[in-house]
Amino acid sequence: MKLLSLLALSTLAASPAFAQETRQLDSHEHGVGQLDIAIDGSQVAMELHAPGADIVGFEYGAESDGDIASVDAALLILAQPLDLFVVPDAAKCIVVDARAELESEDEHDNHEDGDEDHDDHEGEDHVEEAGHTEFHSEYLLECGDITALSEISFAYFTAFPNALEVEVQVISDQGATAFEVERDAPMLDLSTVN
Amino acid sequence: MILRLALGSLLARALTVAMTVLAIALSVMLFLGVEKVRTGAKASFADTISGTDLIVGARTGSVQLLLYSVFRIGNATNNMTWESYQDIAARDAVDWIVPISLGDSHRQFRVMGTTSEFFQRYKYRSGQSLAVSDGEVMDDLFDATIGADVAETLGYNVGDPIVVAHGLASFSEHEDQPFRISGILEKTGTPVDRTVIVSLEAIEAIHVDWRSGAQIPGQSTPADAIRQMELQPAAITAALVGVKGRLQVFGLQRSINDYVEEPLLAILPGVALQELWQIVGIAETALIAVSGMVIVTALIGMMATIFSSLNERRREMAIFRAMGARPRVIFAMLVLEAAVMAAIGALLGLILLYLGLYVAQPLIDSAFGLWIPIDPPTLREVWVLITVILAGAIVSMVPAIRAYRMSLADGMMVRI
Repeated sequence: MKLLSLLALSTLAASPAFAQETRQLDSHEHGVGQLDIAIDGSQVAMELHAPGADIVGFEYGAESDGDIASVDAALLILAQPLDLFVVPDAAKCIVVDARAELESEDEHDNHEDGDEDHDDHEGEDHVEEAGHTEFHSEYLLECGDITALSEISFAYFTAFPNALEVEVQVISDQGATAFEVERDAPMLDLSTVN
Repeated sequence: MILRLALGSLLARALTVAMTVLAIALSVMLFLGVEKVRTGAKASFADTISGTDLIVGARTGSVQLLLYSVFRIGNATNNMTWESYQDIAARDAVDWIVPISLGDSHRQFRVMGTTSEFFQRYKYRSGQSLAVSDGEVMDDLFDATIGADVAETLGYNVGDPIVVAHGLASFSEHEDQPFRISGILEKTGTPVDRTVIVSLEAIEAIHVDWRSGAQIPGQSTPADAIRQMELQPAAITAALVGVKGRLQVFGLQRSINDYVEEPLLAILPGVALQELWQIVGIAETALIAVSGMVIVTALIGMMATIFSSLNERRREMAIFRAMGARPRVIFAMLVLEAAVMAAIGALLGLILLYLGLYVAQPLIDSAFGLWIPIDPPTLREVWVLITVILAGAIVSMVPAIRAYRMSLADGMMVRI
């Protein structure tokens, strides 16, 4: 009896948490990353989203020393945008800001469960549940001669052998357009948009 | 010398040559015409919306949201709540936001509810604003601003009353709440021409006495009473958003796409159009392939006529040979004739194309809302013409080689 009431109590306590929970996930396609480029005046903002499979080859939470080391190494590479996305020298671009991080899918989720057991949940449980991790990096460039920014060469594919394709969105004075840059032709022609 | 011979020989067979040239001309016109319509349609679509950074609506495909909210084509997307709209409007990155509400119609034309800011913010053809040709934009709750095509088709003038129907082509008309036309917009070549624009509150007002799509019997709220009501919409179809800085566009887009309270979608109009072209691209390729095949057919037709002419020209060839012409002169003459035919055909095709465009431009515009610009031929089109001429010359080499051989044999045989 006591057990039963305890059970009943626990379900009562749990249900509001479930009712508040919203479930939604982003699209996730291995081999395909997304790069957004916004060109405004002399500034170029870039945002890269790439599946963990593309960058380090696995998407489980890194636990072994080797895995942790490869995630750290990848983050270091990702923090050097001009080595990944090579712009013409004539554009005289410098990196103002570069940030890279690894995020797991459910960080977007708005879990409203209690604080008490939150800490246990954090690591492996959540990652296993969603199963996908994504590298996310943001860059801000300042270019001396923005008109010379006619193309971007994707050394990204050399740095990350698992990456096959990057879907690129560009906004400039000419409006917004989309491109697909693939491993076979790792060059983005910006002459029509910039 | 050879050119003069070739031209003379063409003139001597003017009728057959004219038919061949006409076939080539028509095929070239078809090919270039397909190209013109294709690029014209693309440009026309791209020109329909400019200056809008993001379009926000309920989560669906980006192409569907774009087509429905801007072009009023395709299935209706879900509505988004007014609450989410206000939430997004309050974001820091948002410079301006214009709600649009679709779903009602007037005759065959869509009625769109929006705010008066729409007239300042909506831009087409790289930054051009909407302008009123007669009257002024709506000001009162029961004012309607109509597009140029609406006014023309239905013969409306400023001040006329207008009745808005519930849903598209429905029988239940909102007869108790007549609107007045306050202004007629100038022709834009965009879907706005075929739209009746009223205020967002007006969309609510016409539904005051309505429940679940039917009028409550015997109930009709007078216009004055409606004016007193609070007519805040509960839902809108989509919103056009301008972002303060270009660098913030993607951030705002991502945050709307990850919006937890309601499944929303923010799209970049240009990117969504690009996606649309990728889908349409396959059909386009097929169309170009077919019109390319028509050119090939015309050129093969020309080859056939040259072949059949060889027999009648046997005597001519023999005389040329007797006069001392080398076989290669015969060869060159035939190839040159073909090239001249192809060249005249290509040029005639180009002329026909421009004549056709000149005649069809207003017709296509009024029928499909598609403005096909009459521009000088592009480099690509010039290359098409050169290719046709070269292909004509190459194709004619087959009969020319035969004539080359025959002229040798004929020259040695005694025949009368």
